[in-house]
Amino acid sequence: MDVNLRPVKKLRESAAVRSALGPLIEAVCASPADLARLRVVCDWIQYKQNFREPVVGRPVGGTDLEIAVDLRRCADLDLEAGIKHALEDPGGLALEPWVPGRDSCIWRFNALYWQALSEWERATGREYEQSLPGGESDARNTEAAQELILELFRIWDELDARRALPDELYILELGVGNGNQARTWLDEFVQLDRRHGRDYYRRLRYLMGDYSPHVLERARQAVAHHGERVSALVVEATRPSITLGFLAGKAFLVYISNVYDNLPTDEVACIHGRIYQVQTRAFLADDDADLIAGRFGIDRARLVPLIDRLLRIGPELLSESAPAQFPDPGRAVDFWRAVWDALRLQERYLPLEGLDSYQVTAELTGEILRPLIEADGDVRMHVSNGALSSLTGTLPLLHPFGRVQCHDLFLTGSHQYRTGFYGPGKYDGSVVNWVNGPLLQLVASRRGFGVQFTPFRQRPGSNITTLTAQARD
Amino acid sequence: MLLPTTVVGSYSVPEWLERLKTEYYQRRISAQHLAEIHEVAIKAAIKDQELAGIDIVSDGELRRDNDVDYFLARIPGVHIPQRAKTDYFDYYDAEVTRPLPELADSPETSLGLAADFSFTRRLTQRPVKFSFTGPFSLSRRIRDGAYGQPGDLVRALARRLNAEARELAEAGADFLQIDEPFLAGYPEQVELAVEAVNMVIDGVAATWALHVCYGNRYARPSWEGHYDFLFPAVKAARVDQIVLEFARKGLDDLRLIRQHGWDRWLGLGVINVKTPEVEPAELIASRIRRALEYVPAEHLMINPDCGLRHLSPEVARQKLRAMVVGVTTVRAELTGGDKP
Repeated sequence: MDVNLRPVKKLRESAAVRSALGPLIEAVCASPADLARLRVVCDWIQYKQNFREPVVGRPVGGTDLEIAVDLRRCADLDLEAGIKHALEDPGGLALEPWVPGRDSCIWRFNALYWQALSEWERATGREYEQSLPGGESDARNTEAAQELILELFRIWDELDARRALPDELYILELGVGNGNQARTWLDEFVQLDRRHGRDYYRRLRYLMGDYSPHVLERARQAVAHHGERVSALVVEATRPSITLGFLAGKAFLVYISNVYDNLPTDEVACIHGRIYQVQTRAFLADDDADLIAGRFGIDRARLVPLIDRLLRIGPELLSESAPAQFPDPGRAVDFWRAVWDALRLQERYLPLEGLDSYQVTAELTGEILRPLIEADGDVRMHVSNGALSSLTGTLPLLHPFGRVQCHDLFLTGSHQYRTGFYGPGKYDGSVVNWVNGPLLQLVASRRGFGVQFTPFRQRPGSNITTLTAQARD
Repeated sequence: MLLPTTVVGSYSVPEWLERLKTEYYQRRISAQHLAEIHEVAIKAAIKDQELAGIDIVSDGELRRDNDVDYFLARIPGVHIPQRAKTDYFDYYDAEVTRPLPELADSPETSLGLAADFSFTRRLTQRPVKFSFTGPFSLSRRIRDGAYGQPGDLVRALARRLNAEARELAEAGADFLQIDEPFLAGYPEQVELAVEAVNMVIDGVAATWALHVCYGNRYARPSWEGHYDFLFPAVKAARVDQIVLEFARKGLDDLRLIRQHGWDRWLGLGVINVKTPEVEPAELIASRIRRALEYVPAEHLMINPDCGLRHLSPEVARQKLRAMVVGVTTVRAELTGGDKP
């Protein structure tokens, strides 16, 4: 039996965590499980809203079993009952078949959150920025904007001296939030350009790209005073070239803030030298399903199709199409929130027969994972498919002297997966996952870009890390 | 033959070959096995070109990790402190700490290019173009701790490459090409580059081409701009042909050919090697027709913009085939022959 204790820092810090371990092992040993085929994995799940029960079972390739324990919630738990429950069929109401993580319906919930953000905010009474750690986006910072702009001026001056400066100077922001970043950046640009005296503002084209028309519209209002310098485009972050193909080789800066952590991802695991894909299945526990059905006067058997309809048409149209259950959109949002709160993920490990048969993105096979998996041995990690797809679609947009700057929750070393939990969790109505930084670094490197990670200097202590990608050689 | 077709040099490096090349650096396969793999890949590359209908073929530069390292690793006096690589395509960090030994001091140290050519020569009946990276671009990847003037390193490299060119000519190479992929990034140094090109060519009886592009590392341009910087300096280069990229950048720079009275051959880039989209043959034909407004057909050779190394084998084959069909169409228009 393997016992894998990941939250090593908590082990040192918390007597409660340490004292949970003895009873946990006792409970496992008292269970009928085949201990020779059992592994126990202990995490500390920092997200109060997440997709897991404190103790869950995960089949490994059909023969073995993993019991996953959230040490944060073990203190008052009947561990013996928890282990017993983890060994049984968890039952519940499945919302989907077993799928790779990126295909889970949790991403449909996530998409709905951004599409119907105004309805969600109306129901909760707070704007989404307030649900971010710290209560605001890390993007709004004049000092950071000034640094970037002055660096751009330096590059543009050099290119101009060689008669190689294009007429139009493109800046792209992906994931625009409420437009504060764009406004701060553009306002600073105007000031600095005036001082610099080269009239770059006249040639500036600031493109705002976002998945959500609602978010875009709000951002556009924030920068309305910059008029025709700014364009707003609906952009699918994982496939930027569809909308932005015209920008290939032209962007001097692509600015991305808090987008990658919110894009679909698979997970893979190497267990005893064998590589598995983590498959998931979203479900509602029986008690939760009954509670929601009762609260909204819905037959339990109709819950799954109704949730599917909510995800397809959103709360407003759901209210119109089922007025008996949802007399107004607010009631439909209540239903949405209740389901989201109760949503859990079952997991299992399915052997990957060949890395090259696993399509990470449209362009990348699982072979790209090999160096990390071989270097790190037994490890479970995010594939960050959405972030990879986004980054590899973004890099070709860069001018040879352009750069991507991205603020997000990045792991900066694969070893971190051994010592912590990095998602998925829930932020308000959205999904959050840390992003596999070393994998992004590797993929960018294979495309000729150097990637650096630095702490987000403008807010010390933040979990946010800055990724900068620029052409090397 | 009117409008002969050729390649710039490198051919598609399949993903499996990339992986094997990297595995060599990770000590998983031996140098001998990798050499044998390269030979098989070169045979396949030549066959692909022949089947596509290319008139003048190359070895695809498949032995070379990139456009620089193959040479730097073999030039006496160039020091590479760390020869391990994470990925085969990475550049070495190279340095010179003292002036490169002159040929008289190390006459036996061939870079082996003539042997590479001879291998290719035996595999095909068609004419062979043999390309190698020029002294200016090689110098840009060397940390110079030996020469007071940067130009002196370039000239020293040129002398070494001249010896190599002589060996190539002795081995039967009659169409040689110097690639200067870094020159567009340093337009103010074009005179130095041309001077060095002439040193390489000196005394070597062959048809000489000079290829200048905007870079193709990782299928991306390293620089942007126009070919204005080449002229008039390039006219002093004693080459028979310049090979330039036009498909990706557009044909506007053709005006420079007329404006500066370039009366030698032009290698016209008609295939964009930075995109997997296969150009229709008719588009390629239209590019050639446009070029014919500036260059007589007797002085026009047709090739991709740059090497094909970053394209998948299937895309490379399709692009070459489309290029040949486009050329055949225009040839027929010029000679009254049959269209494809």
